[in-house]
Amino acid sequence: MFKTFKALRANGVMGINERNVAYVAALNPRKFLARVDDKFLTKKLAEPAGIPVPELYGVIENARDMKRLEEFISHPDGFVIKPAQGSQGKGIIVVEGPLKGGWRLASGKRIDLEGMKFQINNMISGMYSLGGQPDKALIEYRVKFDDVFGKVSFRGVPDIRVIVLKGIPVFAMLRLPTAESDGKANLHKGGVGVGIDLATGRTLQAMQHDHFIEIHPDTAHPLEDIQTPFWEDILLMAAKSYEVTGLGYIGVDVVLDREKGPLLLELNARPGISIQIANRRGLRFVLDKAMALGDEKKSPEERVEIAKTLSDAAPVKPAMIEPADA
Amino acid sequence: MKIKIRQAVILGFALIAAGLAVFLVKAALLHYPLSPGERATLWDFELYIEFDGRNQPARIEAFLPPSDVGRAFLQEAFYDGSFGRSLVAESETRNRKAVWTYRYPANKKVLRYAAQTMGETRSTPLPLSFREAGAQVTPFEADPVKRQAFIVLSGNLRQRSADERSFADLAIAEIFEESSGGEPYADEISALLDGNPGVAGRLELVRQLLNSQGIPARIAGGVYLTEASRRVEPRRWLEYYVDREDFRFFPAGAPGRFFTIWYGPEPLLEATGVDNLDFQIALKSQETAASGVAENAPGALGAFGRSVGFGALPLTTQLVYQVLVTIPVGITLLVFLRQFIGFKTLGTFMPVLIGIAFRETALLNGILLFSLLVGLGLALRFYLERLQLLLVPRLAVVLIFVVIAMAVFAVLMAETNQAMGLSISLFPMVILTMTIERMSIIWEESSAGEALKQGFGSLVAASLAYLVMTNPQIEYLMYRFPELLIVLMGLCVLMGRYTGLRLLELWRFKALAS
Repeated sequence: MFKTFKALRANGVMGINERNVAYVAALNPRKFLARVDDKFLTKKLAEPAGIPVPELYGVIENARDMKRLEEFISHPDGFVIKPAQGSQGKGIIVVEGPLKGGWRLASGKRIDLEGMKFQINNMISGMYSLGGQPDKALIEYRVKFDDVFGKVSFRGVPDIRVIVLKGIPVFAMLRLPTAESDGKANLHKGGVGVGIDLATGRTLQAMQHDHFIEIHPDTAHPLEDIQTPFWEDILLMAAKSYEVTGLGYIGVDVVLDREKGPLLLELNARPGISIQIANRRGLRFVLDKAMALGDEKKSPEERVEIAKTLSDAAPVKPAMIEPADA
Repeated sequence: MKIKIRQAVILGFALIAAGLAVFLVKAALLHYPLSPGERATLWDFELYIEFDGRNQPARIEAFLPPSDVGRAFLQEAFYDGSFGRSLVAESETRNRKAVWTYRYPANKKVLRYAAQTMGETRSTPLPLSFREAGAQVTPFEADPVKRQAFIVLSGNLRQRSADERSFADLAIAEIFEESSGGEPYADEISALLDGNPGVAGRLELVRQLLNSQGIPARIAGGVYLTEASRRVEPRRWLEYYVDREDFRFFPAGAPGRFFTIWYGPEPLLEATGVDNLDFQIALKSQETAASGVAENAPGALGAFGRSVGFGALPLTTQLVYQVLVTIPVGITLLVFLRQFIGFKTLGTFMPVLIGIAFRETALLNGILLFSLLVGLGLALRFYLERLQLLLVPRLAVVLIFVVIAMAVFAVLMAETNQAMGLSISLFPMVILTMTIERMSIIWEESSAGEALKQGFGSLVAASLAYLVMTNPQIEYLMYRFPELLIVLMGLCVLMGRYTGLRLLELWRFKALAS
């Protein structure tokens, strides 16, 4: 046990405690947290800064707004309803399109107007927000995801998580939904995480449930060496989100839309640490190097260039599959 | 960043040190017992003086135990009758004297002094002030014969001894050896003891011999507590300090426990103007709680010990605090489980609150009832989901249901004579309701497995918190030494800056260790 502890330390693997104390608490001023915790605010700040976001169809905050629900959702291509302050993808309803007087959900189930109103009421009464505060429900454009990841996704929308330290992208990962994760790309629900090389945007190795894997568990498609399109744009979006939020340590979640290219889905002030397994290396050394190279005066473009030089900071575990319980 | 870490570490250790310092003072100096129910023997000491008045001014002087010595004695009481009493402290000998006076006493009179003491043992250290080496003095300045005898005797003892310690041993042996006539200096000794061959005289001679060599020595008077009875003889012994060690020489055999009353060769009692003076010392032992003795310790230190405690509160409030002070222990345990092990629980401190509820139900029943109530609540919650109620009314429905379920249990159990049903009413229903709500959300949003995992984690944490909080030793320590709360606070401060991996993260990131 102590040997494992020492080995993980030597490899620069970061735990939740360190993330909370040394990065989240130290670099993310509390007064700015609302900018990422409230997705409505994130959207309003990101758009003028040149970061594309999914189009907002409407916001429901109270019963009066609810009367306009049918107007907000009159989009044949479907839409997404999400609590503005939800976390970890909780409470998100993805509607694919109308179905026999109701609507078809991405999960394949059907929902009627009453059911939808009930869910929205839950959202605005704070069921998914921290501490149960009153919330807003956002109704927005449903992303039609790029086919590039079609073969390695099972339903749902794959997204790209970039960890950004003081405006410098440091770690990136492709998150793929699986049958087990019910179309959600969250890793703790059984989604697949695939490391992405910051310099090239090509996928590296993959993981599911904290174990290394090589192929997608549902589609059996190999996960390595897939080129992420618009990689430069994605890095730039991630870098720019520093100016938008003022937060020094964030996770930037980007989706690839078939028509609109990369869109900022949400920001996270407490990004998870499983990304280390997907990249097969610890965060600490990369973060240390980025911290040393970082400079408040550098432009987002310059910071993207720095990001591409970071990959040599930490040793990468060999790509060979090691069963985690060996 | 670095400064913050250093500050937190300094603060944490400072808190721990401050708490431990108070703890050590109470434990080591005031002898607060470290485990509950520790018993101590306490002796009731009584000095009873009887005499006949002569119708002329009377003055009775008696030594009383000095109040500034580190040994515990308490509850002093006087019975003075019509006499005037004054207390005199002699700073040099550290003696304390009671002086009773009356102008024209007639008939039989009685005076009384009573105190309680734990006494001293041979390991009780002598006062530090006593250890300063005295000047080398040769007594009997006025009597050339005695002076000559003393010089011969001390010179000879000095010659036959190697150092101060062997000098002292030899002097005691020489003077207290029964005169069988064989000693080479029997003549000198009997000359020096002239007119006072008793124990007191011999002790005084040894003291003079030791002082002549610069060894601090004094005669102490008191009683042997091991001789507890209605009538106890006052005893004399010698205290001296040599080679950085305390020594006591008891001519009448060493007692296990004794009680010092005065120092010096004078008798315990002196009186003028009275007839038929008689005194009696009574000693009675009694068993008592050791904590009570410590809490009544005299002096500023004793008052300090009392100020860091709950003794001043009314009894009912004390009982509340007896429970309250254990909660931080549970909280600290929970912090450890979360920050170092990586336990996942429903709600931050919910397990501790459940643990407190277990106090009333006992562990096994508590776990059963908790699981049952949460299970029923979850079932209802899933049904309510179908009714599409709004959040707050839905929580209210679940809460009311929890109360009803608890009431039904209580009634059913009471009918079957199960006492455990009654204890259920103290379950925190709001906590239960929130637990049910949280669990059902995790159930839906993540998975049933995750919900059960967190529920199980909470239950394990609650059980551990309960076991820690109800441990009699921990309960006692926290209540008797509330300064340990500061220590817990310091521990939590330190744990708050722990940035290392958690135990469960070792397992999680095992793939990255090579």
